[in-house]
Amino acid sequence: MNILAVSINHRTAPVELREAFHLSLDEIKSMIHHAKEELFSEGLIISTCNRTELYGIPKDQELDVLDIQNFIFNYKNNRDVKPENFQTFASMEAIRHLFKLISGIDSLLIGDNQIYHQVKESFLTSEEMQFAGVLMKRIFDAATKTGKRAISETEISEGAVTVSYAAVQLVEKIFSNLSKKTALIIGAGESGELAAKHFKDRGIGRLVITNRTLERAEKIARALDSEAISFSTFKEKLHEFDIILSATSAENTILSKEEIKNSMKKRNYSSMVIMDIAIPRDIDPAAKEIDYVFYHDIDALNIIVEQNLSKRKFEIPRVEKIIDEEIEAFVSWYNSLEVAPTIKDLRDYFESIRVEEVGKNKNRFSSEDQEKVEIITKRIINKILHQPTVELKKINELGTSPEETAVKVSVLRDIFGINYNKKNNE
Amino acid sequence: MNSTIIYFNILLPILYSCTFGIYAFDFWKGGKRFTNSKRVFLFLTLFLHLVYLLCRTVFFNHPPITNVFEIFTILAFSVSFSYFILELVTDIRGTGPFIIIISIIFQIISSVFIKETPVVKDILRSNLLGIHVFNALVGYSGITVSAVYGFLYLTLYKDIKLNRFGLIFNRLPNLEVLETLSYYSAVIGFIFLTFAIIIGIIWLPKAFPNFRFTDPKLIGTFTVWIIYGIGILSKTFGKWRGKKVVFLSIVGFVIAILSTMFTNFLSTSFHSFY
Repeated sequence: MNILAVSINHRTAPVELREAFHLSLDEIKSMIHHAKEELFSEGLIISTCNRTELYGIPKDQELDVLDIQNFIFNYKNNRDVKPENFQTFASMEAIRHLFKLISGIDSLLIGDNQIYHQVKESFLTSEEMQFAGVLMKRIFDAATKTGKRAISETEISEGAVTVSYAAVQLVEKIFSNLSKKTALIIGAGESGELAAKHFKDRGIGRLVITNRTLERAEKIARALDSEAISFSTFKEKLHEFDIILSATSAENTILSKEEIKNSMKKRNYSSMVIMDIAIPRDIDPAAKEIDYVFYHDIDALNIIVEQNLSKRKFEIPRVEKIIDEEIEAFVSWYNSLEVAPTIKDLRDYFESIRVEEVGKNKNRFSSEDQEKVEIITKRIINKILHQPTVELKKINELGTSPEETAVKVSVLRDIFGINYNKKNNE
Repeated sequence: MNSTIIYFNILLPILYSCTFGIYAFDFWKGGKRFTNSKRVFLFLTLFLHLVYLLCRTVFFNHPPITNVFEIFTILAFSVSFSYFILELVTDIRGTGPFIIIISIIFQIISSVFIKETPVVKDILRSNLLGIHVFNALVGYSGITVSAVYGFLYLTLYKDIKLNRFGLIFNRLPNLEVLETLSYYSAVIGFIFLTFAIIIGIIWLPKAFPNFRFTDPKLIGTFTVWIIYGIGILSKTFGKWRGKKVVFLSIVGFVIAILSTMFTNFLSTSFHSFY
């Protein structure tokens, strides 16, 4: 199969280079436009924060991966990139790489199912730009099926693998219904914002954000349809919160054990979960000694993250098995593209000989016998072609590689001169 | 028929052990391989246990409530049956091994020591007694299940507090669910225990005119009833929650078991039938 792929990703290039080669949606569209003109009849461009990849069916059989690398290099005009910063794939290896990518096993964060949606969006862009033909559409279907199977049939995407999501997972091990709970996020930085989003996604009943700069807290609160309160007054309302997540850049602790103990008394010792993901820590760790206070700092949450990552790594062989199955199904379909026309051409060729020879000798038979001759000759042709047809169909069923199929089909066509005869007839 | 009963008597501990094995393996390994088959296996075990109880009733011509070891086999059945219903209703499937092991213990005790009661006392053929025993057994099953969930609550509580994110953390339902399961099992157990006590009090003077209010069975039963009553009321009115309530549930269960053992094996009580 004549498909080529070039990738610049987290395995091959440092973050500066990956950033330099990152493509916005407009850039992808513009690049597709150029790629259609210069390189590919159909293809796909994927660009995320960790990778930029080009897949395509070359217009010219002579085109190789170096041409594609040069194309990317010229498009971005970056002089720091070296050939070793590119990973290249040809034929089925390119398809396999795409299947691994969409399943999440090639991601920096193994099992990250965000990549599944990103690849899907890239395919839609290709379709929109009329860059996806029959082959790319089929590859898209097979890839999305592989990604879906990996997510549903294995645990490759199970469990939290980021600290902020681990915090949510831990909270869900204490409370059964987050819609009835109230959470306070202290600190409106990147970590606080991410955690706030996770809580909102999990359906938290009431979300309150506080920050030294109130405007920043208000901005996030507006975006997440939640509340913002002043940093100077949040301690007075501490007892109202079932979950407290702190992620400020304060140098000293902002909540003492005594303050938490007092708020626990006010809430009649109803469980309170405290997540301190700041470094240095925002909350006095001695708070963990209070009954019904579940205090966890970043080290504790990292234990969950590490455990989940190990579990995901353990799932990789199961995902690879799914990829193998889907590759086999795809190859079978692809081979049928070569095999089915060959069977038809072979039969047409033999039929044309039969018709010609019967036509030539038709007058030697009586009108009653002519019909018998038709039947007998057809039967002879069918018997001769039975075994070759069975063998050709077997190529599909056994999942032979496209290269091997191409050789077998080509030999057969050459022996009977099918291509030559077809051209002559045309 | 007798050989069938003997055969079942040996088979049941094996069946419960196999069911426990499947639940424990699934708990250990996780995944979805035995999610449905373990439930089917539990159902088959319970079905065969029911057949055994019916066989005993038909062959010995009385329901199997005439001695403490017959009671143990019914308890083994009702504890696992309660769990089976709970699993169907809540779809919480990760706690099976902790409940089924109780049934294994009860069934092994029953299978090893059970004998035919040669002469069944007339008082044990009373209809009121049948209702009393039924209520008591459902009540004890309820408090057993409540104690198990209470124990699981305490274990998970401790694990979370100490940052131990192992099997218990990964497989058990969350703390609120465990507390709720423990509480509702205790409420069901308490209600049936109350009925059992009321029926017992009505029936007691007729069956045993010389009974004493200081009888160990009466003291033990009332202690258990009061402990559960305090726990349920405190929880209902929001005074106590979490650890305190489940601890009380575990204490109530331990006293109930000790009281049964003491009444039947160590002391002389009107309730000693064996």
